[in-house]
Amino acid sequence: MEHRHSFELALPGLAVGAVAGAAAGGLTLIAGQPAGTAALSALLLATPLGLLGGGYGLLMSRGTIRPGLFAPAGLYWLAGFPLARLVQETALGLVLAGEVVLAGGLPGFLAYQAMVSLGFALGFVWLHERLMPYWLLRVRGRNPRARELLGRYVAHAEVLRRTAERRRAPRKGAR
Amino acid sequence: MDTSRTPATAGTGQVPAQPGQEERVWRAGGLEPMPIRTLPDAPPSVHILGPTVFLVALGVGMGESYMWPRLVLLFGPEIRWLFLIGVTLQAVVMLEMARYAMATGESIFSGAARVFKPLMWFFFVAAILVYIWPGHLSAGAAAFEEITGIPWTVTAVAGLILVGVVFSLAKVIYNLLESVLSILIGVLVLGTAVVAAMVGTWGDVADTVTGMFAFGYFPSEAMSAAWFPVIVGACAFAGPSGMQQMWYTLHLRDSGAGMGAHIPSIRGLRHAGEEEAMPSRGFMFDTDDPAEMAKWRGWRRWVTFDALLLFWGITMLVTISFTVIAQAAVRQDPAVRTAIQGDEREVALTAMADSVSSAGSPVLGTIFLGFIALIGLNATLGLFDSFSRGQADMTHNFVPGAKRFKLSHLYAGFLWGVIAFGILILLFGPADGPSGILDTLAFLSTFAMGAYCVTLLLVNNRMLPKPIRPRWWSNLIIGFGAFFYLGMLFYSLFAFGVVVG
Repeated sequence: MEHRHSFELALPGLAVGAVAGAAAGGLTLIAGQPAGTAALSALLLATPLGLLGGGYGLLMSRGTIRPGLFAPAGLYWLAGFPLARLVQETALGLVLAGEVVLAGGLPGFLAYQAMVSLGFALGFVWLHERLMPYWLLRVRGRNPRARELLGRYVAHAEVLRRTAERRRAPRKGAR
Repeated sequence: MDTSRTPATAGTGQVPAQPGQEERVWRAGGLEPMPIRTLPDAPPSVHILGPTVFLVALGVGMGESYMWPRLVLLFGPEIRWLFLIGVTLQAVVMLEMARYAMATGESIFSGAARVFKPLMWFFFVAAILVYIWPGHLSAGAAAFEEITGIPWTVTAVAGLILVGVVFSLAKVIYNLLESVLSILIGVLVLGTAVVAAMVGTWGDVADTVTGMFAFGYFPSEAMSAAWFPVIVGACAFAGPSGMQQMWYTLHLRDSGAGMGAHIPSIRGLRHAGEEEAMPSRGFMFDTDDPAEMAKWRGWRRWVTFDALLLFWGITMLVTISFTVIAQAAVRQDPAVRTAIQGDEREVALTAMADSVSSAGSPVLGTIFLGFIALIGLNATLGLFDSFSRGQADMTHNFVPGAKRFKLSHLYAGFLWGVIAFGILILLFGPADGPSGILDTLAFLSTFAMGAYCVTLLLVNNRMLPKPIRPRWWSNLIIGFGAFFYLGMLFYSLFAFGVVVG
């Protein structure tokens, strides 16, 4: 049961990560490429990105990462994204050509991927923060950990709510 | 100039309330004074979503995905120092636009009218002339045609009708638009990062980034009648162009930022009956009260975060990614450079996509076109909403007799007007506007940017109480902005006899 509760909290991040990785594969098919290559390329990126995305959700449920902040996600993907790309390039190279060629050598490759990871992190947080609260509202009835995390989201939104309440009050005076 | 303590017998000043007397007001310019109200508490300064999403959606357009990658391929990455200046300037403009909108809950158009009414009418007319043509739909729809084979006019007309229906059915337009644009931008940022990760190299990014600091670089071939106007156009299109920054003040107001909290939101046509009465002027807070000033500083921090991370950061990120993709494309297929030199935007975009496809990552060409289509959709959603919002705001406040209509009805009128006109032009006329006036439209769009810098200086320094006026360095940057846009525009006109490319 505990595992199921954790898995549920990992789902939004897993979905965002996996979809980002798999989008490449789906569109390769439209572009008329061999289905096998497309599927493999997509799978090899979607799997690590999905797992890391799920991990992000789990860290959030433990309170290691707080809702609504960019910096922790930036650091998380700074390490995670280059790793996922390294897995993809290595596996794809070995399966298709029997050798691994990284553009710019290993340090250059990792440095470049780390830089791009900031963009990925921004997009990831942006979508994750949109999906997660709705998902928590859905599963909170059966998942105590979801209730707990939702509580943290609510606490985070407290300031915003107070602002909204104060907004409504003086409007009666407006002509 | 009067301070906020000056009793306002005439001109600008804050009038203190006496027992049993009228409420306290702030007098600014010749229009109705603004009543003093409480400034709401500022949200936490570090946040993810906010009204800047509109500016990003409007700003990340052809400038980032096409114009600047093209210039980099032609003149080298060093040309990007002009982009850095353009986007940084726009971030400061954004902060100053927000200053007036958050302090008063009024749009910058109302601020302009407080200074000098004809100034506002200039923007009213310029907006109609520049933004009524549906040409901006063509790049996105053409990219969609490349992927799906559906003729671009069909997609464009369907897109126009869809935009109209969605905005008419929405209860509160701002909330709907924020959600839709947020998801689109999230997908765009995420996807662009993945594509750039797969095709680019460290060398491309290093070139692109170091090029941004090559201040003063200007190759001799760029100083020609063929290319100088293109560079002027690209500088104007670095970040939000034309009147998009002015419309941002309306989105800030509708999102309830600062004193915008005291102004009701625009609703969709179907829910227009529920709209609260729209006040005919904004409000001011008590700038003599230290507690209110502390809240004001909170709001400034909030919008500064928006300007730096969300606006500046995302715009830079997307354009760096697209430049890296373009560099990778040329490396794989040098013919792309020739295609890009040509004037045909669609041909150049398709060439870039084809070469990305043949570069060993076949999927990427399609993804590339998908993003161009996505950018087009973002821009269309944002532009139509913003145009209608701006025109409805000016009509409601300044056209005699227009107050008997609800703002939501005026908004719907402008929205469906521009959609109907757009469909007619797409089917029967020139999408960018009649060729005889193309130069005039391009001129007006860039001229409006110089003009809003001057307007900002006047409005923020004359219509706001002293404690919340801009600092000298901010005025200096905005002054430089006016010089930058107008100077380049007129230099191009007089030295080369060409407007902007």
